[in-house]
Amino acid sequence: MADIFDDELLSRCMSCGFCLPSCPTYRLTGEEASSPRGRITLMRALQDDRLDVTDPTVLAQSEFCLGCRACEPVCPAGVQYGQLLEQWRDTEWRGRRRPLLARVLMAMMSWFGMVGITLLGLLRGAAVTRRGTPDAPHLMLGCVERVLYPRVSRSARRVVPALRAPAVQGCCGALHAHNGESERGRAMARRLGRRLPGTIVTTSGGCSAHLTAELGTDRVVEFSAWIAAGNGPDPASLRQIRLGEDGKPLPPNASGGRLARFGLQDSCHLRNAVGVWREPRELLRRLGEYVEVPDAGGCCGAAGSYSVLRPADSRAVLAPKLAAIADLDLDYLVVVNPGCYRQLAGALRGSRTRVVHLAELLALSAGG
Amino acid sequence: MERAQLAGRLAGIVGAEHVRTAEGELEVYARDATPLFRHRPDVVVFPGSAAEVAAVLKLATEQSVPVVPRGAGSNLAAATVPLHGGIVLVLTRLAQILEVSGPELLARVQPGVSTKALADAAAAHDLLYVPDPGSQVVSTVGGNVATCAGGLRGLKYGVTRNYVLGLEVALPTGELIRTGGRLWKDVAGYDLTRLLTGSEGTLGVITEVTVALVPKPAATRTGVAYFADLATAGRAVDAVIGAGITPATCEFLDRTCVAAVEDYAHLGLDTEAGALLLFGDDGAPDVVAASLARIGQVCTEHGATGVTLAEDVAASEELLAARRCSLPALSRLGSLTILEDATVPRPMLAEMADRIADIAARHRLTIGTFGHAGDGNLHPTCVLDAHDTEAVERSHAAFGEIFGAAIELGGTITGEHGVGAAKLPYLRRRLGDDQLALLRRIKAAFDPAGILNPGKLGS
Repeated sequence: MADIFDDELLSRCMSCGFCLPSCPTYRLTGEEASSPRGRITLMRALQDDRLDVTDPTVLAQSEFCLGCRACEPVCPAGVQYGQLLEQWRDTEWRGRRRPLLARVLMAMMSWFGMVGITLLGLLRGAAVTRRGTPDAPHLMLGCVERVLYPRVSRSARRVVPALRAPAVQGCCGALHAHNGESERGRAMARRLGRRLPGTIVTTSGGCSAHLTAELGTDRVVEFSAWIAAGNGPDPASLRQIRLGEDGKPLPPNASGGRLARFGLQDSCHLRNAVGVWREPRELLRRLGEYVEVPDAGGCCGAAGSYSVLRPADSRAVLAPKLAAIADLDLDYLVVVNPGCYRQLAGALRGSRTRVVHLAELLALSAGG
Repeated sequence: MERAQLAGRLAGIVGAEHVRTAEGELEVYARDATPLFRHRPDVVVFPGSAAEVAAVLKLATEQSVPVVPRGAGSNLAAATVPLHGGIVLVLTRLAQILEVSGPELLARVQPGVSTKALADAAAAHDLLYVPDPGSQVVSTVGGNVATCAGGLRGLKYGVTRNYVLGLEVALPTGELIRTGGRLWKDVAGYDLTRLLTGSEGTLGVITEVTVALVPKPAATRTGVAYFADLATAGRAVDAVIGAGITPATCEFLDRTCVAAVEDYAHLGLDTEAGALLLFGDDGAPDVVAASLARIGQVCTEHGATGVTLAEDVAASEELLAARRCSLPALSRLGSLTILEDATVPRPMLAEMADRIADIAARHRLTIGTFGHAGDGNLHPTCVLDAHDTEAVERSHAAFGEIFGAAIELGGTITGEHGVGAAKLPYLRRRLGDDQLALLRRIKAAFDPAGILNPGKLGS
């Protein structure tokens, strides 16, 4: 018997199939192998030596899975699929079996990459060296966010100026854990926890799930949940965002114009692993007209590094969502994770719907 | 015929991209939702039309290759396990809702449409598709018809067979036939629609289904009553029906099941009570309100220790959804979950519940029982450690006794899950030799080469 999986985790699944309709890749193919239940059948075959790690279906499915964990909240048996997937990739993606682009990406995230990301964070104002209140919670800056969307961290600090955001934080290791290096990913999370003592607030749904799993819910809290719980400005006092005739936001307290219309794309891991999905909606309802995007909880195809590793599949997962979004005629599509930000901003370029992070809207409402 | 040669011929029919022969692809189609049954097919095909299904069957008959039709693979009787290898014929590509007709109160769908999708499409027309098996989010309409799936509305509304108006079916010999149609009255010929409903893929492959719909009731409400044990709950159900009420839903769960469901769904159920009765009715709002109040009253008069009514539609939906996931929620208690489907005439419900408890105790097994109290359909579910082979043996012995008890009380070995491979050994006890022989002759008339789902009904 191969010793790849924790037997207790693997035996949880009773193969009822309740997860099938929640799985984006099963919805694309209708094939058992690309469903959570089918993948667990493959894992069991690996564990019991009926198949081995070189089997082409096993390898292909370990890559095709988005890792969105939509199968977890719908599972009455309580299967922890995310953990099983990490254990699978730890073994499956060794050496040359690891997707080439994943190897490149992990190399980029190495020490040299982190130095670059740290400097970028400083230069573009995501990090601050002096400001912030002693003993206040730390704002985690994130790797992807510092490179692509430093304005998200800047906005978060504008909403809650007390937040401390030192430049040297490191990486939480979520991408490592999803790409076949779960032990290293956990070690990185612990190191980040030592560098940022006390409460860690993060604007990245993906990072929040990974950090929470390692450091616990008493240390890690996602930004929208933290604000909704009343840690920043009083949610009841948030000012609504109104738009002028040109579609641009009017200054706070300006009269006239019309109420902005928002939709939300959930962060899969924030929703499925941390259980945070009501909170950002609560805040958006206070900021303007909130519309629920159909299947908002379904993966947008970004899925961590998936959109980089498998661009064609990523676009196929996104396609039905774009049609639904177009029908809603939104002013803003709101995200709570940098991966979703990149995926949707790219897809909606040129559309009248702008993609923003919830922190940016809160800053706008606060008059930033 | 060699596997590669067979795959090549099948690719000629459905296209190479819809044929699978890799070991990993075969492994995932070696089982369904039934534990302890596994056998790999030789090839998996995904036909895209009824004509392709018929052509695959014709080829299989010529070459004497077994064919096992499959929808979502959510059945609990090993009905879709390819025990003799051959072809697994997956119908998930045929997933179009072809028509919903309000004026005619019917819908026409392809077999791979999920039960929930059909229910939602009907609801969008203010109509109700009645059969609602526990697995409705995943199960397919084709699979529901093939197994004559039941659900939570059996007592007042009946089961799948009561809603199938017509079928298009590919015969093993390659012909496509249409049985029934858009008619509520049609006695031209034997009722093949009913024969094929519940035939578990042994007579033909369903390629299109016409189902009857009913107007959506204006209101649906549920409530919960707690009892000291299942038998008391069973007697209360008798009293409710004796009082002239036919509840749309009448489900019960014993203490073990309530605890497992509460652990998953967090609805605030009383996990201390010995049994829970989930009742519901639908219709005009004032009628439903009166009906629920009366059911609650009769329950209280017959030993209920507490009665609560769901406050609104959402709370009702939550209760029903929680009930539907009883089985997988129960599986949290052990690594192997074996469930059965014994059914008795409703007045025997209390007696049967007592007998199951007695059998479980004698065999030292954890058996949680839930089921459809309104129609005498029980799901005794044994949860154990998969590695404990001695306990697995004891569970087989216990289920043998449970089936014996059900038959003795005038019941049956399966109410809604089907015979499949799992209950075939017990079928003789239910039907007797003469009827079994007739089943085989019917099977031979449809499937002379014996290619369709061998090792199941009619074998």
